[in-house]
Amino acid sequence: MTRVNVTVNGRAREIDVEPAKLLVHAVREDLGLTGTHVGCLTGDCGACTVRIDGATVKSCSVLAVSAEGAQITTVEGLAGPGGLHPVQQAFWDEFGFQCGYCLPGMLLTACELLEDDPDPTDEAITLAVNGNLCRCTGYHAVKRSIRCAADRMREGS
Amino acid sequence: MTSIGTSARKADGEVLLTGRGRFVDDHVLPGMRHAAIVRSDRAHARITGVDTSAAERAPGVELVLTGDQAARHTGPIPHFIDPAARGGRRAEVRCLAVGKVVHAGQAVAAVVARTRREAEAAALLVEVGYAPLPHVLDADEALLPDAPRLYEEWPDNVILHNHYGTGDVDAALAGADLVVTETVRIGRTTTAPIEPRGYLASWDRFDESLTVYGSVQNPHQLRWMLARSLDLDETRIRVVTARVGGSFGLKMQGHPEETLICLLSRLTEAPVKWIEDRRECFLSGAREQVHRVTVGATNDGRIVAVRDRIVANAGAVTAQPGWAMPNMSATTLASGYLVPNVEAELHVVATNKPPLNAARGFGKDGAHFVMERIVDLVARGLGADPAHVRRVNLIPAGRFPFRTATGLNIDSGDFPGLLDKALKALEYDTLRARQRELRDRGRYLGIGLAFELTPESADGPGTFVSGFDVTTVRMNMSGGVTVLTGVTSPGGGNDTAIAQIVSDELGVPLGWIQVVQGDTDRCPSGFGNFSGRGMVVGGGSAALAARDVRAKLAVVGARMLGVAPEEAEVTGGVVRVAAEPERSVAVPDVAAAVLTRAFAVASEVEPVLEATRAFKPGNIDHVPDERGRIQPYPTYSNCLHAAVVEVDPETGVTTLADFVMVHDCGVVINPALVEGQAHGAIVMGLGAALTEQLSYDDEGRLLTDRFKSYLLPRAGDLPEVRLEHQVTPSPFTMYGNKGAGEAGVGGAQAAVANAVEDALAPFGVTVTQVPLPAPVVLDLIERATAK
Amino acid sequence: MITRDFAYHAPADLGGVTAALAGGDAVIVGGGTMVVPDMTHGRTTPGVVVDLSRAGLAGLTQTAGGEVVVGATTTYTQLLRGGELAPLLRRVAGGVTGGPQIRNKGTVGGSACYANPSSEIPAALLALGARMRLASARGVREVAAADFFTGAFTTERRPDEVLAAVVLPSPDGPAFGYHKLKLSESSWPIATAACVRGPGGWRVALGGVAATPLLVTIESADPRHVRAEVARVLTEPWSDVLADGDYRRRVAPVVALRALKEGEAS
Repeated sequence: MTRVNVTVNGRAREIDVEPAKLLVHAVREDLGLTGTHVGCLTGDCGACTVRIDGATVKSCSVLAVSAEGAQITTVEGLAGPGGLHPVQQAFWDEFGFQCGYCLPGMLLTACELLEDDPDPTDEAITLAVNGNLCRCTGYHAVKRSIRCAADRMREGS
Repeated sequence: MTSIGTSARKADGEVLLTGRGRFVDDHVLPGMRHAAIVRSDRAHARITGVDTSAAERAPGVELVLTGDQAARHTGPIPHFIDPAARGGRRAEVRCLAVGKVVHAGQAVAAVVARTRREAEAAALLVEVGYAPLPHVLDADEALLPDAPRLYEEWPDNVILHNHYGTGDVDAALAGADLVVTETVRIGRTTTAPIEPRGYLASWDRFDESLTVYGSVQNPHQLRWMLARSLDLDETRIRVVTARVGGSFGLKMQGHPEETLICLLSRLTEAPVKWIEDRRECFLSGAREQVHRVTVGATNDGRIVAVRDRIVANAGAVTAQPGWAMPNMSATTLASGYLVPNVEAELHVVATNKPPLNAARGFGKDGAHFVMERIVDLVARGLGADPAHVRRVNLIPAGRFPFRTATGLNIDSGDFPGLLDKALKALEYDTLRARQRELRDRGRYLGIGLAFELTPESADGPGTFVSGFDVTTVRMNMSGGVTVLTGVTSPGGGNDTAIAQIVSDELGVPLGWIQVVQGDTDRCPSGFGNFSGRGMVVGGGSAALAARDVRAKLAVVGARMLGVAPEEAEVTGGVVRVAAEPERSVAVPDVAAAVLTRAFAVASEVEPVLEATRAFKPGNIDHVPDERGRIQPYPTYSNCLHAAVVEVDPETGVTTLADFVMVHDCGVVINPALVEGQAHGAIVMGLGAALTEQLSYDDEGRLLTDRFKSYLLPRAGDLPEVRLEHQVTPSPFTMYGNKGAGEAGVGGAQAAVANAVEDALAPFGVTVTQVPLPAPVVLDLIERATAK
Repeated sequence: MITRDFAYHAPADLGGVTAALAGGDAVIVGGGTMVVPDMTHGRTTPGVVVDLSRAGLAGLTQTAGGEVVVGATTTYTQLLRGGELAPLLRRVAGGVTGGPQIRNKGTVGGSACYANPSSEIPAALLALGARMRLASARGVREVAAADFFTGAFTTERRPDEVLAAVVLPSPDGPAFGYHKLKLSESSWPIATAACVRGPGGWRVALGGVAATPLLVTIESADPRHVRAEVARVLTEPWSDVLADGDYRRRVAPVVALRALKEGEAS
């Protein structure tokens, strides 16, 4: 077992993991944050997306031990005391999900995009979610949700 | 009605958005163990021995189970749809292979350990001895007299052989101006929900009961099935459909692991969890058919006869209902066309591929691909516009109900209306001009049309494909409403739409209503999710139950207001005097009165603020007609798809440029939810048309085992898909709604195939298969130009 | 699940990396996007894992002599944000499959060492005439990209060596072209062509079409010449479940011509 110190959704946490443990399993089992989902374990589907030091990664392709010292954000860390994050709100209002399984990846990728580029083109939105598979929505409402979030966040700022 | 027809947001939205949705893998029970499964790497072989000794000694291992051992504790798994009930053959399906394996990937042994990692590590140590048997992967080859036989007790490999249709095809073909023959093939695809399957079974040795959390579509049928295979009383089993991360047919029951995981829990007396991995999920196949078609038409474009010899590759036999899908390909063949003479012959064939599993479209998609190819082949043969040939053959709006040549009694529709709207949305004539202009510049734009007819809300006599469902509406002392329904939602959101119906019918705000689904201990016996039934029968039964409760509220509320019941109305959470809306009493006060003043103000009603009702839609008729045909469907949604593609003739790559679907599912309860389902189904069809295909090596082992080889569409593959609605109410359902969610796959697939052929018309290409990945398209071009 | 235990090292510098590799049986994790899933699925079962993420090997620098040194763990995102010195690699990075999550983790060195015939980086390095800087406890050596890729998933790197950097002889400047063919967004690339203008014509590297990237020098973008040259070098086309060798043979010249067309226009 290796002791790993991470800051998860703003809170310092200490976990003991085998080096062979994937970050997605540490997040789900050791940190208890089951909002991050396992869809393929090949880095293809994006359901396991978390942010490490601000950058989205597929946590099935990261060893938990390698996250020592990292700031990790999961889907559970998006909403604040004031309620849902504008991206979450937009996905709800615009029907940007159905079963919700791919949703953590979509939300975190959308947040990263909008922090980098508050007024993304349609092409930039498409590129941002190109690493996230969704079998329910056909992506139409996903893209509409991100556009809506971008517009609202710019108006609000 | 204030809520029906509006796009209420998903009721479970906040839970899912904040990562609190509890999927099956998120359930943890004290003392929980984990299972891993040893699978065959042979397509067909006798099992000569299973050496579990090394696995049993591995760290953390508590049990290693072989097929012979499992067979001592469990019986055969009953079929979801028994082939024998349809005149076919059944095979004995076991949770672990006994004696021999019939497909690569078949479960041979199972390991239970403290952790999943330990279980997977130990599973690698199980040594299975095999004596190879000759195998057959191709359905046509499996039909040959000397083909290897999967099931020794069968005389051949045929699961089902049947004939469909009416009329005199030979005479009609003899009199036709144009006769076209073609062989078209539909590749093997899979549903691939992002959440794979999973079960958590917990055997309670104290009261000898079993609780199963599962990612499943049909909890009540699963309970029945487990009672049979495990030889338990049904009352001892509780199935809880945890939140489902997409399903699309895959999670209808009949999978060996359902029985297996329960058995493992019973044997270890501990909760046991098994979550399928992605490679295992790709074992489930769908579609895979060959159609040998002959069609006759007259010079004015009327299709007078269709003959189709269908061979469907069902893979090995499973208890899952997927084997029955080709039956629907034959039954839906004439689709929404006036074709008077149809003859379909179907062979559903067992091979040593993994089993077929139910998939969105349930075989109707195959009929659409073939029929829409037929229409385009006729148009091409006659030199006519494909839109014109559709208009000539589509059933006109005034002809409903209409009995098709294959026996379906279509309830209602305006099919030419769909065509008009689609052509207008495309700006068809302008687009054709642009196509000519681009062709002159060496660019190959193609336009493909496809009509799609989706029989919805099926009832198969003698099976648990039931055409009704049951809902309880229960009001508590505070006026809060719990809706317990037999239908389930794998993600589409029918829980939200059912709440909308109850809100309107009961007269209380949407926020007062909680919908509970998927728990066999809480919900009335129902049938879950399939065949676009959620709103037709879940919504219909919820409406009836809500009306019963509302009637009591009206009686008691009226008495509290001092008026006659017929003078009162229930709306917005109050009972009020219709003529004097300011005179009202709050529904919670009325509820409290019913339950606390049953011998006074509520003495006129039976003091139960609860009703359980079933809804049976019309138009289902199991009395065979003069030709022996029954009518299993109440209603038929329909749509018209138009795909615009550009094909790169140097590489064969097809790019989607535009897509329009005009959709008629009757009255829409929640437009945004219906549109979301349609978008998802269309994109599933686009994937099946272009890139999705399961491939196997010569030994029957799956090659496409990840999302980089089985290619789902991604956001960047898609144009802006445009949807338009047409509303033709069904006379046979509660609100005139027709079911939604299934429609889209078959039409999208067909429209793209037609568009690719249209794009490559200058090369003389005939599209004879789906999917159409770039290498296939380039081959089609080369073959056509070599002629 | 990764079923075999391993020792994990995340050295803080190159010396630590080469020391950790000295024992053999090690797998190197750069960004992890390919090798970690391989471990999960039992395709590689190392006893030692050496993680480069803390070894300070990322970033682009230019030497006084004009060469561009691309650190092995430079990610695609870093190329996109600061890859002015390596415009062709930046171009490749923008089209990498798998979304921003993969671009944030996937590295130039990782892609080169994994040597998947379907990956894009190897061919781009070949077109650029890159040198692969390999470090071990025994010292540092450089291998030309043309010699580095020895087969599908195999390279000239020895088990105790780490790819520390790739060295690009000169900034590739504006004169390059790139074209990629894949079946859909989910697909591995089927055929790629990167072309860079050199003294004797265009250096065209074909990726995805054979076990290793193929280099061909094209004097003129005349289609017949290009087709003949591509056919000459493409003797054993790569075949996989997405596309057979025959398809790759047919599209390779098309992809090369398209890259050249873009290069000529640049």
